Amino acid sequence: MKRPLSYKLSILAFLLPGLLLFIGVLIAPIIMSGYYSFFNWGGPGKVAEFIGFRNYSELFTSGSIKFMRALGNSLLLALFSVGIQLPLALLLALKLGQKIRGERAFLSIYFMPVLISTVVIGQLWLKIYNPDYGVLNMGLRSLGLDSWAQIWLGDKKTALWACFVPILWQYVGYHMLLMYAGVKGVPPELREAAMIDGCTESQVNRYIVIPYIKPILRVSVIFAVTGSLKSFDLIYVLTNGGPNHATEVPSTLMISMLFLRNRYGMGSTIAVMLILLCFAFALLINLAFKEDK
Amino acid sequence: MKKLLAVLLTALFVLSMVSAVAEQTTLTMWCIATESDANRPAYEAAIAEYEAAHPDVKIEWEAFENQSYKTKIKAAMADPDSLPDIFFTWAGAFLGDFVDMGNVYCLDDIYPNFADSLPEVMTQNASYGGKKYGVPLTMNIVTLFANMDLLAEAGWDHVPETYEDLTACCDALVAAGITPFGCAGKETWCVTEYLEPIMEKTIGYEALNEVFAGRATWNDEGIAASVSTFQDMINGGYFDPNGMALGNDEVKANFIAGKYAFYQNGSWNCGEVNDAEGNFQVALFPVMDAEKATYGQVIGGPSDTLAVSASSANAELAANAAMELGKSICHYGYLAGSGLPAWTPDYDTSEVKPLVAAVADIVANADGMVLFGDTAMSADAANTYLDYVGQVYGGDVDGAAFIEGLAADLQ
Repeated sequence: MKRPLSYKLSILAFLLPGLLLFIGVLIAPIIMSGYYSFFNWGGPGKVAEFIGFRNYSELFTSGSIKFMRALGNSLLLALFSVGIQLPLALLLALKLGQKIRGERAFLSIYFMPVLISTVVIGQLWLKIYNPDYGVLNMGLRSLGLDSWAQIWLGDKKTALWACFVPILWQYVGYHMLLMYAGVKGVPPELREAAMIDGCTESQVNRYIVIPYIKPILRVSVIFAVTGSLKSFDLIYVLTNGGPNHATEVPSTLMISMLFLRNRYGMGSTIAVMLILLCFAFALLINLAFKEDK
Repeated sequence: MKKLLAVLLTALFVLSMVSAVAEQTTLTMWCIATESDANRPAYEAAIAEYEAAHPDVKIEWEAFENQSYKTKIKAAMADPDSLPDIFFTWAGAFLGDFVDMGNVYCLDDIYPNFADSLPEVMTQNASYGGKKYGVPLTMNIVTLFANMDLLAEAGWDHVPETYEDLTACCDALVAAGITPFGCAGKETWCVTEYLEPIMEKTIGYEALNEVFAGRATWNDEGIAASVSTFQDMINGGYFDPNGMALGNDEVKANFIAGKYAFYQNGSWNCGEVNDAEGNFQVALFPVMDAEKATYGQVIGGPSDTLAVSASSANAELAANAAMELGKSICHYGYLAGSGLPAWTPDYDTSEVKPLVAAVADIVANADGMVLFGDTAMSADAANTYLDYVGQVYGGDVDGAAFIEGLAADLQ
């Protein structure tokens, strides 16, 4: 007797709803964005003019769009995410994985920023950075460091860094939780064997735990890099890409093109570039981790 | 028997309540009258009045912050079904883009019912191809608000009317430890409230109208000189440097709290400033080039508008509601000091606040008017323009780069 699932039609019938959803929600919009990126289109109700790759060339050459600066800001954020956020998350995960006292409480505390709405976090940091009554400037002034007080979000020199701090802070807990799950998954006998052989805690972490959780580290790196390229919400709340594009990232630029300038073709071009970059970086990171094996 | 009667009567009562609710039509509305907006009380009063007069209609309204609303309404235009029945908009090219998309209901059929109290001239900024698409609320101009108590501390008993006097006054204020101006760099439209009057008072209202309409080039030495004037004021320490990181609400609150001597913004703030503690006066930015401009030239006009979504299931009802609400918002807004009337007042105006009356006087004697630049231009052009204005405030471009950049990007 044949099993029902071995029939190709049955398999297709079961896969179809999910497949249709996947195509409708993910694939079709990407294809449509790619299609619109070849047009100069002012939005619904307006005539779309086919212009080939002109949107793409304008994206990289136009002085007023400043895509390269936005991309540079995102890549810088990705660098800091991988260089600061992930090591910090790993340190916390390793420490919490050592069954310290209050492990659950610390886990909840570090994860809390991930649970809070980004808009709330944005408003919180807006108050912290306020040049007049913000706790940061007030703290500096109370310490006699008046010259260190800045217009954190209004000065081109400090705005980008001021945006990075809450973004990095918010997602440390997220990566920590991923890594913590990995650390907890390390078989205790491996640890015990290493300890019996005379390894210190840091040697156990270095030679046993970290290599063991490498697949999770790879996922974290992919999430951190692609998340940085797609970063939008906190920057939108804190500066909306200002002052004078100093904190612009591709997503804020895309929103500006689509909904402020009614340049739907150019907005679609930025969307396509974002998708391509995210795929490219995900592949590169996968390759980098494969070479290490 | 009594129990049965009671049950029947209760059932009848409940049924009548249910049918009354079922017959009520709900109209949705979006606007920018947030809790901190000067127009909020006028909206609340107008909606309450409308609902009382039309018990079968319920207005469900939401208010959004000015800058983010511009993004929201434009995004909603891409999906007309997501639009509310009635929405706030700015007249000129801003609404024009939505009309081009076919998303706005034409008000020509309903206008004759209100023509007696709404002069034709007030609908012109929201008319396209000879058809009316918007209900004007109030009209406003860019106004120079002055805190006379702070001016007195610097030895001034009047608002300067020439540029030389203004700089002398600002120098005296700075010497007295008072910040002359506050300007919200986080919302670029607030920067235009400073730059546009300087441009108008340098090249004249007719020339500026031509530039905003795209009929004359931005590459005008007078505009470059205006930018230099504005930047000289910034570099001279006349503006609060913290303003770069602040929104308009914060800057306005600072002015009302006595942190700045001057605040240049829309006349819709008159009521709020009038009611604040202190001695305030309104004026206009002084003339820069007397050969081309006069003191009485102003930036502004009827811009705040209600429009009806073409996709509304109750478009005709919504159009009537928009007209009635527009008239009431104008009425209550004028009395509260959040704007000058676009509709002819048919009520007692003797209680109009002094600052509003002063602005009304300025408008009555205006020599010329230029609609706000970001409203007069199409969306793409307006945002390119705002982008350059932001760069001027941040010191990234000078006058020459401003005019050359805009001439290259817009014309």
